Amino acid sequence: MPTSVAALAAYQSKDFKSDLKPIWCPGCGDFGVVQAIYRALAAIGRAPHDIAFVSGIGCSSRIPGYTTAYGFNSVHGRALPIAQGIKLANPDLLVLVASGDGDGFSIGGGHVPHAVRRNIDITYIVMDNQIYGLTKGQLSPTSPKGLKTVTSEYGSLEEPVNPLMYMLAYGAGFVGQGTPADMAGLADVIEQATRYPGFSFVNVQSPCVTFGEDDDQVKDHRANMKSLASLGHDPTDRLAAMGLAQGYGTDLHTGIFYKNPNPPPTFDAQMRVRQAELAPKALPRERILDMFVQR
Amino acid sequence: MDDLVIGMAGSGGDGIVSAGESLISAATYEGYYAMMTKSFGSQVRGGESSCRVRLSTHRVLNPGGALDVAIALNWDDFLKFGAELPVAGTTIVIYESKTGVAPDALPLVGVAPREVFAVPIGELAKQGAGSDKAKNTVVLGLLAGWFGLARTSILRGLRKKFIKKGEALVAANEKAFQLGEQYAKEHPLATPRAMDAPGVQPGSRLLTDGNDMAAAAALFAGCEFFGGYPITPSTEVMQFFNREVWKYGGAVLQCEDEIAGIGAALGASFAGKKSMTSTSGPGLSLKSEIMGLASIAELPLVIIDVQRGGPSTGLPTKSEQSDLFAAAYSAHGDVLRPVLAPTSVADTFDVTVEAFNIAERYQTPVIILSDQEVAQRKETVDPIDPARFTIETRRVPTAAELTDYQRYRFTDDGVSPLSHPGMQGGNYQGAGIEHNERANPTASGKLHEQMNAKRFKKLAPLQRRKDLFHIDGNPKAPLALISWGSIAGVTREAYEAARKEGLDVKLLVPWLVYPVAEEIYRDFFSSVRSGFVVEQSYQGQLYRILRSYVEVPAGVVAFCRSGANPIQPGDVLAKLRTASLTLQEPAVQVPVED
Amino acid sequence: MTKTRSIDFSKLGLRDALDLATIIEEEAKERYQELADQMELHHNAAAAHFFRFMHDVEVIHERKLFERRTALFGKEPRTVDRGMIFDIEAPDYDSVRATMTPRQALHTALAAEVKAFEFFEASLPSVTDADVRELFTELRDEELEHQGLVQKQITALAPDDAITTEDMGDDPVAQ
Repeated sequence: MPTSVAALAAYQSKDFKSDLKPIWCPGCGDFGVVQAIYRALAAIGRAPHDIAFVSGIGCSSRIPGYTTAYGFNSVHGRALPIAQGIKLANPDLLVLVASGDGDGFSIGGGHVPHAVRRNIDITYIVMDNQIYGLTKGQLSPTSPKGLKTVTSEYGSLEEPVNPLMYMLAYGAGFVGQGTPADMAGLADVIEQATRYPGFSFVNVQSPCVTFGEDDDQVKDHRANMKSLASLGHDPTDRLAAMGLAQGYGTDLHTGIFYKNPNPPPTFDAQMRVRQAELAPKALPRERILDMFVQR
Repeated sequence: MDDLVIGMAGSGGDGIVSAGESLISAATYEGYYAMMTKSFGSQVRGGESSCRVRLSTHRVLNPGGALDVAIALNWDDFLKFGAELPVAGTTIVIYESKTGVAPDALPLVGVAPREVFAVPIGELAKQGAGSDKAKNTVVLGLLAGWFGLARTSILRGLRKKFIKKGEALVAANEKAFQLGEQYAKEHPLATPRAMDAPGVQPGSRLLTDGNDMAAAAALFAGCEFFGGYPITPSTEVMQFFNREVWKYGGAVLQCEDEIAGIGAALGASFAGKKSMTSTSGPGLSLKSEIMGLASIAELPLVIIDVQRGGPSTGLPTKSEQSDLFAAAYSAHGDVLRPVLAPTSVADTFDVTVEAFNIAERYQTPVIILSDQEVAQRKETVDPIDPARFTIETRRVPTAAELTDYQRYRFTDDGVSPLSHPGMQGGNYQGAGIEHNERANPTASGKLHEQMNAKRFKKLAPLQRRKDLFHIDGNPKAPLALISWGSIAGVTREAYEAARKEGLDVKLLVPWLVYPVAEEIYRDFFSSVRSGFVVEQSYQGQLYRILRSYVEVPAGVVAFCRSGANPIQPGDVLAKLRTASLTLQEPAVQVPVED
Repeated sequence: MTKTRSIDFSKLGLRDALDLATIIEEEAKERYQELADQMELHHNAAAAHFFRFMHDVEVIHERKLFERRTALFGKEPRTVDRGMIFDIEAPDYDSVRATMTPRQALHTALAAEVKAFEFFEASLPSVTDADVRELFTELRDEELEHQGLVQKQITALAPDDAITTEDMGDDPVAQ
């Protein structure tokens, strides 16, 4: 929906904000993320009842409840399969998925490559805080090596996963990253991801102020983040995107790493074509059993 | 002769199962009732394989007991199936003479079959078709010749089957068939036995298996989405559904795992579509968390579990009824989840439609507990009148309700209006977390208690659904049989035989196996002093569940065996006879000594 | 060429060459045994029978080479082992099928003989020892001879039935 000073947008951010009060710790990065989501949804202009917002378990997974969209706060790690079922049952819906680093890359990690390769038109937003917050500060799959937590008393012995590299390697058509330190930039990445016709992924560096490393993470983000646009990165260059994505964990790049300039047809689009092609072959429902008659 | 049980064994390359398929297809076309079960070794290709085909002029309830006709292309293969192909003194044994076994030295311990024919089956195939590979077609000719079976329909079927590969192959098979037939005529049975003519018009009955029937019923019930993962012996449900559902504007998603399968199915239900998944034992274990989610989110969902031998990988290709505990109780927390079990291919249709109706009406997951026997056996089914069925849909909110929508509103019957994305004003958050009437998360103990009560209350009417129970016999009978799933067909045959013998016995077969309909069982048990709960499992899971909900008379015990150890009608009948004798003894009070 | 990774043919003496040839036959013998077992498990008696026959042939070859070696070198220890060869004269695993005909089984054996021929042919230019050269030439020519024998059997074979197991057999079984 084009915006201009003259034309009033169909929806404002407040139309997507529910009455529920977030239970997040004050200072949590997720407050900024939900604001960016409201803004992106207002820009897109779909009615709240035409949006399905699915999540799993974790601090981040509370997000759907703070929006006025249809939400589904499901079980740990299973948001992606549920969201895919929703989109295929009703491809007219705008389907968003919220997850955290544990929900998305640990317990639910097995679903990720398949969601990517299936290319159902949904948007996957992972709030990556490198820690398990809801269960009070255990090691997460994106925790840096050496991190001392209650389950890694003497420092983690494992390398973290790199969500950006995963997604690029799996073949995602849209990979972006943002931080609540730059809410406008984050809203923009989420909006573009949502508009991308196919599976899209946004990694949000969303600091945990209660169990995270230091107190001034958002300030650090603000000081150290580099927008990919300012680096002159061409978002249609997948190999260049992979080069930059290797900086995960040390560099904070924001914006779009990769956006496929020629998006292939989505699963849901192909499904509709197939349904239309095969519809004439349908027996009336009350005659379905005829196919078992021995003639 | 109105009933004939044929058992055949050979290797996969012999195509003995393929011959069985031809036979049952022809017999069904001609108007016989028929049933076919298959059993295999553990090789994907070329292993030992066997089938049982039962033909009858009246409805067939189970694959039958001892064989009337046993056909062995190879004795090693035949004997591998042991109790699945029982030979008795009434059996006519036909075998490949090339095996070199003398007719009076068959490797059957302690059995003297009624008649034995060593037939040069491979030789006849070579003469007729130019190759001993047509042995299975010779077998069909032998059967047609000796037992007057469906001659023209078998030939018609062979033509249909082979014409894709050319007229020469058709001609070769016809010749092999004729040589078999001729051999039978030249070597008549001591007492001729021919099947009675069937009583109906050709081409009026259906032939299918339980998996295909379940998928067809799901389509009929309006199911539009399937999410799942391949697992034996349930995969055919997904395959059939995948062939058909796109035509009806639906889709199948073959997922990355069992959990994703049920997750996608639940998502589709959340989005407003009737939806299902199917699985077998190990998959049921994996799906349990999301089954719990469906219960607390109050979303309709049908889960078909085709039981196989367990636990773990167990016996993937053999039938067992050992998933009842898992179906009834898996998923943590206080959960009540209806479980329905079909007893035949035919009633798989009714049970599946009913499962969708219950799921939609009560906004709950429903498990259909099929088993490998029902799911993979082929069975003749009388035409099913679609007008017999009501198709239910979920209770969506009214316009008035949408002005102040409460997804989990407390209602008299516990069922709340269910909206779905796309419906303006119905916006809510479905959740696995406990919630209030407006679907907002809560940690309140009071609300949790109320919501549990609501979720249990809404399913209470199921307990009074007498139409989900089949009770036969004298209501005052002191002797009783209870049985569920495929084994109920065996139990029913025993029940009918016992009644013919004059035993005062009654029978209860539930479609609804959980929750336990306490009143119905209490009524049933009121006259009972002795009886059996007949099940194909080691523990007797229905028996144990019944005991935890109702007072089961002390004389009622479980009669159960692990999977792949078939219970025959005769076994049940023998139990009944003994129990009946005990009942006739005068009740004597024996003083109890400490 | 991973097959002969650790063999320096230029340094190969007659004793080691004989040992090498022996273990090549040993490998082939074992493979035929394995294929015969596979065929038996899948009820393909004809193919199983042929692979057992080939196994027996390899046993004879192996024994003859071993006897030759013992006559020349007695109980001198072996300094070559199975780790130095891989898949030289053994029929290929991917060349067999559950429903294969005797003709297809013969072709499997033929391909194995060709493989062995090529091994000796490829090794010969690097061989410096005259006795080894003579042995490898002899073995190479034998492989050629074997090819001829198998080929003759193929030619002598009655034509395959017009009807195949694929036509008449049961569908594969889900497990």
